[in-house]
Amino acid sequence: MHKVSDRSCYIGVFVPAQDDDMLICRCEEITKGEIRRAVHDGMFTLTEIRRYLRTGMGLCQGQTCGKLVTGIVARELGISPAALEPAFSRAPMRPIEMKVFGNEKEAEGHA
Amino acid sequence: MKRYDLIVVGAGPSGLSAAIEAAKSGLRVVVFDENANPGGQLFKQVHKFFGSKEHKAKIRGFRIGSELLEEANRLGVEVILNATVAGLFQDKEVTVRINDAINHYKGDAVVVATGAAENIVPFVGWTLPGVIGAGAAQTMMNLHGIMPGKKVLMLGSGNVGLVVSYQLLQVGCEVVALVDAAPKIGGYGVHAAKLARTGVPFYLSHTIIKAEGTNHVTGVTIGQVDRKWNIIPGTEKHFDVDTICMAVGLSPMAQLLKMAGCAMENNPQKGGYVPVCDAYGETSIEGVFVAGDVSGVEEASSAMIEGRIAGIATAEYLGFIDKAELTEKAETLENALSSLRQGMFAPENKGKLIEKTEEGYDISTHLLQNGFFTDQEVEKYPGVTKQPGVHAVIECSQNIPCNPCQDACPKHCIKIGDKITSLPVIDEQTTCSGCGLCVAACSGQAIFLVNEDYQEGYASITLPYEFLPLPAKGDTGWALNRGGEKVCMAEVVGVNTSPLFDRTNLLTIKVPVDMAMKARFFKGGSCHAQG
Repeated sequence: MHKVSDRSCYIGVFVPAQDDDMLICRCEEITKGEIRRAVHDGMFTLTEIRRYLRTGMGLCQGQTCGKLVTGIVARELGISPAALEPAFSRAPMRPIEMKVFGNEKEAEGHA
Repeated sequence: MKRYDLIVVGAGPSGLSAAIEAAKSGLRVVVFDENANPGGQLFKQVHKFFGSKEHKAKIRGFRIGSELLEEANRLGVEVILNATVAGLFQDKEVTVRINDAINHYKGDAVVVATGAAENIVPFVGWTLPGVIGAGAAQTMMNLHGIMPGKKVLMLGSGNVGLVVSYQLLQVGCEVVALVDAAPKIGGYGVHAAKLARTGVPFYLSHTIIKAEGTNHVTGVTIGQVDRKWNIIPGTEKHFDVDTICMAVGLSPMAQLLKMAGCAMENNPQKGGYVPVCDAYGETSIEGVFVAGDVSGVEEASSAMIEGRIAGIATAEYLGFIDKAELTEKAETLENALSSLRQGMFAPENKGKLIEKTEEGYDISTHLLQNGFFTDQEVEKYPGVTKQPGVHAVIECSQNIPCNPCQDACPKHCIKIGDKITSLPVIDEQTTCSGCGLCVAACSGQAIFLVNEDYQEGYASITLPYEFLPLPAKGDTGWALNRGGEKVCMAEVVGVNTSPLFDRTNLLTIKVPVDMAMKARFFKGGSCHAQG
């Protein structure tokens, strides 16, 4: 856990790997290499990674890549994936067009 | 704002069960589901379920879905489809997307039963069209009547991988290989055996190196892994396929609960990040309950029971029933739930290598690595006996929670006892009538009727058969052994399609008597369909 909060912690240099160009987040087309680099750029939490790269911000909302991104970041930091807090969850839980999201229906109802 | 006593998120097995139990106690219940059809994954499940009678064992999944839906409707539960729950807020306010608007609802209690989503394994080419999840394969086949491909490689040997591979065979796909990085098959041996005897090869300790193709999958290369999951050079194997199907586990879809502020935990035994909840499914937020895969990945039978418990608990929470009634009703259900969690596939045994059954029989390593027993191994299990005349041979070797065979036999030849994970035992004091009810009742298709005195020099074998076209009496073809190899010629001497068998048709084949304990499948000489 300490590595996540301790930014001065040395995690070594970025070492290019053969599978760096493999797509991990399909929706936003982010590769494994980009995620690994982001960690070396100082993005140690999943929320930071998400804001920096937009992983998990696409159509599937990280349903497919969430676990993979966690695994890649954890490995880069040399910690267990369980030590990484998942990124924030907030509404809307599913991708919804702005025109729909803004169209709040007037309450009809029961007392 | 529209108000309900109970809002249920998700109309799958657990959500519907929760709604049913709550409605029984008089709660006004609404169920939202983002899909166009209710039932969650149930309507994609064409196989017979395991468990006991109370868990709807030997009933096919989609029929269970219809039953649940009917019951919910009868009790006045409102099921709103194409309704995406977008948020769960303070004081149990729920925002739901319906058509082109966001609607606000408020529940006095909420049950979140959002289920789980499929995991994937990335490899070179995994984003090519033709790489699909097992769930997608089931949706295509069982909801839309579309074949996912012609030649398929399945990654993942858990029950989902095994069951979906079998369904792929049923719709006429060729399953070229079943691959798993683990050193042993993860799902039930009986599910694996159904595949192995049709000739599907298993590659354990193997993983996918790459999917080949430019615009879509045209092939796949797999390789053997060492103990550190690295590919061993020189072990690469290539297959021409147009589809790669992944069944590599599920992760709970618990984002709604995290968002609501429920205490969460990372629990690998439950499949990942899940809400902390008590025995009734209540989370750290009073009145917010969870049931089914979202609270820990299991299967539909336990999801339905968890749903019922949560539904009853909401009734007590809102004062529709008293504590005593809750305790009484929940106790029966909790006992049923714990019986499903017994045996070698119990959650706490996940990943463990179990070498002996509870009764002390050796677990076949050959089965765990290849999907079938050796001819010698099979004889030692208590369901396998040698008797004159027709008798049941039960090739069941693992402690799994399932007992329909015991109730199926009108002559009481099959004994499991009170513990539903025990291996079935043939009572040699009884006489088999050869009715075949046990053959069709076994969800694992592990029961055969064998008659070594059928004719001079010939034995008859009655086997469960769920493929089309159905062979006819008089047809000839090959008998295949447990590993799917052709071992002798066989003639179909009987076909039984009684409605009682619910489409597990019984095929009786005649083979030379020395093949009585070897032949376990029939492949028609002229028919090219799988099986």
